[in-house]
Amino acid sequence: MQPERPITPSTLSVKDLRWQIQWDKEACTLCGKCTAVCPVNAIELGVFRKRLLEPPVGFQEPPATVYRSYYGIRQKTDPAYACVGCAMCNLVCPNNAIAPARADEADKLRFQLDRGGQPRRRGGRRNAPGVLLDRIKFVRISMLTDPALDAGRHEFELRTLLGRVLPPEENLKHLRAQGWVPPVREIYPLIIGGMSFGALSPTMWEGLQMGVAYLNEELGMPVRMCTGEGGCPPRLLRSRFLKYVILQIASGYFGWDEILHALPEMKEDPCAIEIKYGQGAKPGDGGLLMWYKVNRLIAAIRGVPPGVNLPSPPTHQTKYSIEESVAKMIQSMSMAWGFRVPVYPKISGTSTALAVLNNLTRNPYAAGLAIDGEDGGTGAAYNVSMNHMGHPIASNIRDGYLTLVKLGMQNQLPLFAGGGIGKSGNLAANAAALIMLGASGVQTGKYMMQAAAGCLGSETDRCNICNIGLCPKGITAQDPRLYRRLNVDDVAQRVVDVFLSFDTELKKIVAPLGRSTSLPIGMSDALGVDDYHTAERLGIKYVV
Amino acid sequence: MNEPRQRHVSPPLVISGRPAGERVSSRVLEEQIQAALAAGHRRLQIEAYGQHGIGGRLWRADAEGVSLRITGHPGQRVGAMGFPATRIEVFGPASDDVGWLNAGAEITVHGHAGNGVANGMAQGWIYVGGNIGARGMTMTKHNPRFDPPELWVLGSAGDYFGEFMAGGVAVICGHAAQAPDNVLGYRPLVGMVGGRVFFRGPHAGFSQTDARLAPIGDSDWEWLSVRLTAFLKKISRTELLKPLSERRDWQLLVARRPNEKAGRAVRAVAAFHREVWDAELGRGGLIGDLSPVDRGVIPLIVTGDLRRFIPVWENQKYAAPCEASCPTGIPVQRRWQLIREGRVEEAVDLALAYTPFPAAVCGYLCPNLCMASCTRAGAAMAPVDTTQIGQASIRAKLPELPPVSGKRIAVIGGGPAGLSVAWQLRLRGHEAVVYERAGRLGGKFTRVIPDSRIPREVIETELGRVKEIVPHVYLQQPLGPEETARLREDFDYLVLATGAQRPRTLPVPGIERAVSALDFLEAAKAGTAACGRRVVIIGAGNVGCDVATEAHRLGAESITLIDVQTPASFGKERRAAEAVGATFRWPVTTAAITATGVRLADGEEIPADTVIVSIGEAPDLSFLPEGIAVERGFVTVNAEYRTSDPKVFAIGDLVKPGLLTEAIGAGRRVAQLICDESDGRTPAPFRRQMIEKRRVTLEYFDPRIVAFGDLAQCGSQCLSCGACRDCGVCVAVCPQGAIRRHDLSGTYEYVVDARLCIGCGFCAGACPCGVWNLEENFPLE
Repeated sequence: MQPERPITPSTLSVKDLRWQIQWDKEACTLCGKCTAVCPVNAIELGVFRKRLLEPPVGFQEPPATVYRSYYGIRQKTDPAYACVGCAMCNLVCPNNAIAPARADEADKLRFQLDRGGQPRRRGGRRNAPGVLLDRIKFVRISMLTDPALDAGRHEFELRTLLGRVLPPEENLKHLRAQGWVPPVREIYPLIIGGMSFGALSPTMWEGLQMGVAYLNEELGMPVRMCTGEGGCPPRLLRSRFLKYVILQIASGYFGWDEILHALPEMKEDPCAIEIKYGQGAKPGDGGLLMWYKVNRLIAAIRGVPPGVNLPSPPTHQTKYSIEESVAKMIQSMSMAWGFRVPVYPKISGTSTALAVLNNLTRNPYAAGLAIDGEDGGTGAAYNVSMNHMGHPIASNIRDGYLTLVKLGMQNQLPLFAGGGIGKSGNLAANAAALIMLGASGVQTGKYMMQAAAGCLGSETDRCNICNIGLCPKGITAQDPRLYRRLNVDDVAQRVVDVFLSFDTELKKIVAPLGRSTSLPIGMSDALGVDDYHTAERLGIKYVV
Repeated sequence: MNEPRQRHVSPPLVISGRPAGERVSSRVLEEQIQAALAAGHRRLQIEAYGQHGIGGRLWRADAEGVSLRITGHPGQRVGAMGFPATRIEVFGPASDDVGWLNAGAEITVHGHAGNGVANGMAQGWIYVGGNIGARGMTMTKHNPRFDPPELWVLGSAGDYFGEFMAGGVAVICGHAAQAPDNVLGYRPLVGMVGGRVFFRGPHAGFSQTDARLAPIGDSDWEWLSVRLTAFLKKISRTELLKPLSERRDWQLLVARRPNEKAGRAVRAVAAFHREVWDAELGRGGLIGDLSPVDRGVIPLIVTGDLRRFIPVWENQKYAAPCEASCPTGIPVQRRWQLIREGRVEEAVDLALAYTPFPAAVCGYLCPNLCMASCTRAGAAMAPVDTTQIGQASIRAKLPELPPVSGKRIAVIGGGPAGLSVAWQLRLRGHEAVVYERAGRLGGKFTRVIPDSRIPREVIETELGRVKEIVPHVYLQQPLGPEETARLREDFDYLVLATGAQRPRTLPVPGIERAVSALDFLEAAKAGTAACGRRVVIIGAGNVGCDVATEAHRLGAESITLIDVQTPASFGKERRAAEAVGATFRWPVTTAAITATGVRLADGEEIPADTVIVSIGEAPDLSFLPEGIAVERGFVTVNAEYRTSDPKVFAIGDLVKPGLLTEAIGAGRRVAQLICDESDGRTPAPFRRQMIEKRRVTLEYFDPRIVAFGDLAQCGSQCLSCGACRDCGVCVAVCPQGAIRRHDLSGTYEYVVDARLCIGCGFCAGACPCGVWNLEENFPLE
């Protein structure tokens, strides 16, 4: 900003920005690394003028004024180049001379992010730190009342069932009448939720898939990962690793022709098919892969031209009622694999979730229901959808489970919970809380980006630029110059680490409950919370 | 091993747990045993009836020891918390937790023992002549102050054997095992951190995390052989010594040390990638078939093609603001650059390629849009003074003329616009013929611009140059539509530049008393004007200001300029009018011009001896042939000054009232178009895009310079927007040493070594001229 120029409503000072670059002139060596690495070009070399006044002493000499120039790092104040707080500058600075600092009051930038009439879009999660799940504690600690188990040394069977588990007599009836029973998979209860090839970089996606394969084949953990809506690389479809994959179909139907073409050559059935009707981060809105990220590779896998925005419609076309949506889609997808593969819908958390669930209970082909709560993450969404829309996952899952209990079907139709699990780092605790509220398993995506790849995004609006393809860690970038920063092997290793430590933590939680051979699904008597109304709403203990 | 000495050979003291058919409680039996010990008894026989903890805690026996023979059915925890020198023998099976927390007792069980044998034992010996239940030898310790504890089992161990075992030795002989195919039970040795387990017979696995098989060394074997003999004697099964003494039947399990646990064999992820992942998917993994792009890991700071941004030396790609804002398109910045380089004559001469009137216009008459748009002016610094180089242009030398091409262009009008187009055409080798209605060339220059604004000789000199370049001039040639139409046929192109000389007038009574501004100025210039003492000028634009100045020169004492709106006058003209004391009044509406002055709509009368109307002029269109479209009194042209007749162009005030420089620029533009078109070229863009001012760095300059002494100072303070000044700042600033200056014959360029550059953009940030730009690198995918 130059004082001689007129200001506009969008003219901001550094002070008005959300992230303010703190630069230390003394420590800076002017090496250029910070400006070279900054993903959004928020900083540049600045030339500064310094006036040195030499006042006369005793008036022996005339007073002097001298101008000098010096160089330094300058932060841009144009909203288009606002610092996103990722702190990559700090990461590369050899002298720790530069770092972003959060504004000490609400920034003024937020009011200027809609220029051109385009509301703010971003990646990440709802900008609201903390999650109710963190407040739920496991209050039933069995020391003498149940077999006391040792999480470190005892054996646990921490597996869950994905698929329609009919009562034996009904199964037999099906078998006799149709020669068929619903397919059921025994899987690990922590699922890597749908993040598409495209939303994620090739290195990130491959790292996740390879980590999952490693967990299965080297460590015997039946971990599954959902593709998200972006198709599936043809090689994966034709490999044995496909059995670790949950293929997602959503309203954009990206990449499904490639999946169909691979059908005759598949060595294995996929684990399951997830029909995405909604996403917790942006309920009621469709997927949105912005053109920055649609390069030739992504385009090839999705079956679209490169360099175009790829919005998915908010709803599946050609389906005009809940019955039709559910029945038609589940039928079609089941049929594709000869009814050997479980098919279940995923919806965003909503006050109408029970309507969907009730419908599924009447459909013997429905393999489960996944519900994605308001704290879920996304690669791209409108800020308003992320921040203000959606339903918390806890009560949704609880209501769903209790409804199944009323129907006597709680062991038949598994519920899967997603959205904000591990939001504050408490992956196992959040997962266990949801399981005890009634989930058969949980899905997590954002946590994987953070733990397995070092994602810098936060719920206090750090980074969160997944949508524009400039991810400084290469997690959500499609530019090789960025995604090559990420090593496939490192990601896979971290996936393995995450699951192993999750496994230990989950055992630490369930062992004192005396559970080792089955997940404590719906074991809500073990849960307590320090808020009376929450306790009442969820039907768990109020503990203070 | 301390054998308690046998001091008494008398029969042992018998204590019954169920005297007279009534069971005594565990507490009472314990009291009776302790009392017997206190009474000096050292050999006891306990007829047990389910009592708990028999035989523990017998420290009163001291070193002489105590021996307990237990018959009947002891309860749980026989020998629990046993002391050294206690010897217990159970004639039959024992319940759970035999030797629990044993701290030194020797306990022999002739039958089977239940769960939890030796749980937490730290010293002592337990010999079991049968099998043991689950969780035997768990949590055992080895305190270095004492010998390690031992558990000997003739048969097999139950499930979860040796959990959390931290010390001691267990020997599982596997004889007549309860589970012959697995003598160690299910999942043994989980959490084992110390001790040893000798076993004989098959097993179904053990905790690989915690334990490992170790070879049985000679000293191990010797110890085992010696102790085996003792064990079999204790349980009275010495006949088994031979079958149990086959060394090859025995195996030894020891705890892994912490460092061994860390190093347990798992496949590295990198190996998995190679041996499993790529083996199944094919070379290049998941998308090896779809993309040839290298996906190997790269650092955050990179060079070459991996840079996200690259610097580009965009020398003279963009026009400086002075040039871009000059309607004539004079490269002012280039002239200052030549001056900086010491090429003053070239700087002066350069102007003639753009205008025939550099001195008159740039030096005197132009409002100098170049200075208004100067990047310095945008930062509240004094703009470089173009009038200095403008005035110096009076001595500019004529360029050499190219031979004529044969193309002929007729120009109607010998004012600034017409002379500009004729001048430019001739410089480009085409012949221009000028038709001027008046008796002399120059139009406004010579007829109406007051001498106070510009020395007459400047105009004469520049018109003299024009006459040298454009010899074909026909003066006093008033043309009608037929003549104009003929010119259109006779020449390759026709350019109309007749200006606007018909004064606009006011529909008020008494208008005939007023004189028009043009007539007044023309007369004033010719020395024939008369002017009263009090002058009112209707219309306070710049021409009105000229009128005011001239009126003052001619003796007017009171000069008032009135306008219906805020006066449009500005710049030198306005300042000059104000300097001679003219007053401005607005908004006022003229109602009538009377013999005594100007009467306003509100009835006021401004007294005036002379009233001059200066509300603009309109073109005289009577000479236009058929087919030339006009609108609202002006000739209609497109953006290239072409009229509705493609062969005919129109420029200057005939098209739209404007500045001298706009008329001259239009002439240049039309000349260029005609040349391009005649030569069959795509018309070149008239001007380069203006550089973004933010690219230029002002901080290298002293903001306190408010005036420029001479051309040299002007040159030195010019920011050189968009044109390299060869200062070398980029070379010095580049942290990678990636920028070099290359000498080319007579000129130079700055180049970047991509192998060194990291794309930091420091060159772009530091460049004083805004020449370096940081561009996105080419797409990689």
